[in-house]
Amino acid sequence: MTSLEERFGDPYQGSNPLGQSAIVAADERAELAAGAEALLDDFGLGAEFVPRELGGRLVEVDALVRRLRPIFRRDAALGLGYGVTSFMAGLNVWLGGSEVHRKSLAELLLGGRKVAVGYHELARGNDLTANEFTARRDGESLVLRGRKEVINNADRADAAVLFARTADRAGGRSHSLLLVELDGLDPGRFERLPRLRTLGLRGCRLAGLRFDGCAVDGSALVGELGTGTDLALRSFQVSRCVMAGAGLGVLDAGLFAVLRFALARTLYGRPVAALPHARATLAGAFADLLTADALVTTTSRALHLIPGSGSVYAAATKYLVPLLLEDAMNALSVILGARFYLREGEYAGFGKHIRDLPPLGIGHAGGVSCQLTMLPQLPRRLRRLGDRAPAALFAVGAPLPGLDLTKLRLLGPAGDPLLATLREDLATLPGTPALATIATALDDLVTEVAAVPARELGVQASPAALACTERYSLLLAAAATTGYRRHNPAELPWLSLALSRLAARLAPAPTLPAVPPDIEEALLADLVTRAEQGFGFCLDRDPVHRSLSH
Amino acid sequence: MRYPAFDGAQRLERVLGDPADPASVFSYARCAELDDADEFPADICGVLDDFGLPRHYIPVEFGGELADYQHSVQLIRMVARRDVTVAVAHGKTYLGAVSAWVAGNAEQRARVAGIITSGVPVSWALTEQAHGSDVLAGDVTAEAVPGSDPPAYRLTGEKWLINNATRGGALCVLARTRPAGGPRGFSMFLVDKSTLAPGTYQHVPKLRTHGIRGADISGITLRDAVVGHDGLLGAEGTGLESVLKGLQLTRTLCCALSLGAGDHALGIATRFALQRQLYGRTLADLPAARHTLATAYADHLLAEAFSVVGARAIQALTTEMSVLAAATKYLVPTRTEAMIAQLRRLVGARSLLRDVLEQGAFGKVERDHRIVPLFDGNTLVNLNSLITLFPILGRGTEHASAPDGEGLRRCTELAQALPPPRHHRLSLVPRQGSSLLRGLPAAVTELAGLAATDPHLAGLARSAAALRDALEDLYTAMRAQPLAPVTVPAPAFVLAQRLAAGLGGAACLLLWLRNREAALAQDSASTPLWRDGVWPQLALDRVLTALGVPHPAPRSGYDTAFAVLRHQVSSGHLPSLFSVPLAEARS
Repeated sequence: MTSLEERFGDPYQGSNPLGQSAIVAADERAELAAGAEALLDDFGLGAEFVPRELGGRLVEVDALVRRLRPIFRRDAALGLGYGVTSFMAGLNVWLGGSEVHRKSLAELLLGGRKVAVGYHELARGNDLTANEFTARRDGESLVLRGRKEVINNADRADAAVLFARTADRAGGRSHSLLLVELDGLDPGRFERLPRLRTLGLRGCRLAGLRFDGCAVDGSALVGELGTGTDLALRSFQVSRCVMAGAGLGVLDAGLFAVLRFALARTLYGRPVAALPHARATLAGAFADLLTADALVTTTSRALHLIPGSGSVYAAATKYLVPLLLEDAMNALSVILGARFYLREGEYAGFGKHIRDLPPLGIGHAGGVSCQLTMLPQLPRRLRRLGDRAPAALFAVGAPLPGLDLTKLRLLGPAGDPLLATLREDLATLPGTPALATIATALDDLVTEVAAVPARELGVQASPAALACTERYSLLLAAAATTGYRRHNPAELPWLSLALSRLAARLAPAPTLPAVPPDIEEALLADLVTRAEQGFGFCLDRDPVHRSLSH
Repeated sequence: MRYPAFDGAQRLERVLGDPADPASVFSYARCAELDDADEFPADICGVLDDFGLPRHYIPVEFGGELADYQHSVQLIRMVARRDVTVAVAHGKTYLGAVSAWVAGNAEQRARVAGIITSGVPVSWALTEQAHGSDVLAGDVTAEAVPGSDPPAYRLTGEKWLINNATRGGALCVLARTRPAGGPRGFSMFLVDKSTLAPGTYQHVPKLRTHGIRGADISGITLRDAVVGHDGLLGAEGTGLESVLKGLQLTRTLCCALSLGAGDHALGIATRFALQRQLYGRTLADLPAARHTLATAYADHLLAEAFSVVGARAIQALTTEMSVLAAATKYLVPTRTEAMIAQLRRLVGARSLLRDVLEQGAFGKVERDHRIVPLFDGNTLVNLNSLITLFPILGRGTEHASAPDGEGLRRCTELAQALPPPRHHRLSLVPRQGSSLLRGLPAAVTELAGLAATDPHLAGLARSAAALRDALEDLYTAMRAQPLAPVTVPAPAFVLAQRLAAGLGGAACLLLWLRNREAALAQDSASTPLWRDGVWPQLALDRVLTALGVPHPAPRSGYDTAFAVLRHQVSSGHLPSLFSVPLAEARS
């Protein structure tokens, strides 16, 4: 089968209908580029979201992230707009649905149809349990009332997974999930709300659904009554890893664009790529991309290997990775200078990527909601770090046990396998100032988390308590990078730059970060080699079709 | 605290009316529509012309109303807090004219003043498509017309990404007068389009931009455009010098755009947090959300204080502007950009939707503001300016000459009258270094004396001492940098970032010390910020983190700041160290 990369073609070739200029022009019109969705239909992308036992190609989550990368590298709005939200909808059904649900949804997705996922109500945001959309029993029917808002593809999806209040009482069992076919609904009692204008991901079709006493068959209920929150929060663990991983493609594309500019542009009598500041920025962004990939890859694999930790690891990934990506893109934009600000010309694609990143980061759980997932679990995890993680977690390519969504937990067991691994790695790796900083940060975090009063482990968290979750996420990233390095020894020495950058985030220091220049140079050389030879900038060096020369 | 420099700003506010009222000409709603259509805000600029804003771009000695740069800064800030596009579109005329103020003769200044007064925009044509911030690589040439004496000039070439190049009636154009170029190879020309022969110039169409979408960011192509000798500003070969001196003024004024954008973003986020219901309470009731807002406010107050000191320095420490212009232009826009990004995470999905929260203004202000770190010398250019001054600034206190005590006092004590602007005193090199830096140790000592009798000031005194010590270490690191390297090593940029933060910290400390008694003698919403050194300690918290020596301010300080912020935003006041009622103020 021809790869997606090949089908998309060189983004820098002006005549390519799915090249950068066509995509930027479509973004201006708030559309997806003509032919882009047909290409994915033809590729059968929907099968990526369907488990193999239901006829699809979904086996390993980290592999799914890698397969989606070419799409997000091309156009994040296409990636989200075509169907990553269908995947989110699907997860709930794979986890909690009946055989009938699973088969019918698999059929839809395998046929290239779209399924919307309706959790969000504008007035409620991430506060799921306050949702007001209701489903009431009436004989064999469920009667739906209320609105779901800012829902991708709401204006055109064939079906929707809806998160509905099914009991008046407060608490965890007040909501349920429904799988509803939208086309057959009573038009007098159901409407698709107008599309919303967005400032990024402009090609996505965000709209809403409004139900006004609309009856659906009782069989729409996914799982038991009252299990909606449980199913949603467990499904999130997978989709958070995938959404965080989607952003890697955006930084990969942005890094390529700026490298291309830096090699071609002359400033002060030399190529921009020869200026030390530009070199340091490019190398730093590359290191951060690899760090982010290591974290996404590790936590995606953890869903298979240590699913009990999925809740915390997925939240940490969805919290930290968007920050790393946005910071790296901002640093790169400084090299691009005024070109970054133009919506036309050769570098307009970079500006579009920058506009697309924040909604990708906020969409499907913003930062604080991820922090509030982590915080209450930290005391139990850090009291005793417990056993180290299995080697297969880091050894990419090593076979994984099948993804068993039923093993995901809302609250993980005691101990933290990744940090336990980090602690052992810190003891065996040759000492550097960055490792010393990380070791101290780990010890400090354990102490501080133990001292957080129980009442501050929830929404009333103090700023200091909430800040623990950021350092925890950074330490997981350190664990992922050292773990990856240990089990993939052929890799170039990006680890020391990655760790020194994590250390700088963990603890501001008055000394200048001491990065040996040869490491920065080696990273830059690797970056240029990959760009010249047509490989991507993530850990897997996937083949990419894009031309460096102008 | 009341600061008379805001008087003009408040007058403008009364004229413009409540921006939330869609019926007013300069409303948020109107600005959002213009932005959607990439349309120039011509009608709004007309209202500002009617108000007489252009006269504030003309120094008093040349017939205008610009007597105190701070007035103009705060006027532009009021425009920017509604819409950065309008502020850029209108305020750019000051940038266009600055070369005349700095280098022109009396006739030329009068001519430029006349153009501005008649409501014609003036633009500043420095950059070219192939060279960006590397202005010494510019290809636009000016050749003497053979036989003319004194020589007229024939200008040829393209200037690109020029604000108001199309809509403006006149431009100051930097052009190469020596084929070999070099620091003395460029000259500045005042080009009045109405005097050019037909066919000798053509506009390069407006480019579509990420933010400030309505602005006229375009270009101009000159083809044997003849400019008389009276168009040459200053002597031939002084173009670069007049650019650099002009930038010392304009960079300081760019802070007005950041302050206005910050005012707007803080307002939206605070209003949102106060009304948003979540987990059975408002978002503002959650400690972490409050802390995010208070931290953003601390950044904003740091930016405001540094801008106030920077703008006053134009008149009080004129010869030191090379330091302060670069430091403020680096620190204030980058801090504001980061602050807006943090607030965006608090606002969440609404920051990305065009039609939901205040007409999508949050996303718009973030996009619009991102131009500010880019123009008039981008972040790297400004840091580079500071790096070239390391040999002077890094001398260390013990080897440096005494600060200009009189100038420093005038600069930081708001009740002191400022001398009129003396543009001829601008200097490319601050021979005496920076009085702010050299005055810091004495200020730290003075504060230690206050803290000895007032235990509430002990924390601030510790932070101040930490700033002094961190700066001494920074000077040592600056001295270890290579002198005049072929290319600037990357770590030098980190040192320059820290130096700018340190200068900002010194400005805050001195501003508080010199005005706290006056501030505490008044009773206004911002008074609690001045009590017990609350705001300078918050600002130093931000600065010291940037310097790598964190000294967190106590949580009570953040609580006080949040309470003041909430009061200011809820009552329609500017989020500020000062008491400034806005058009939407409720008494």
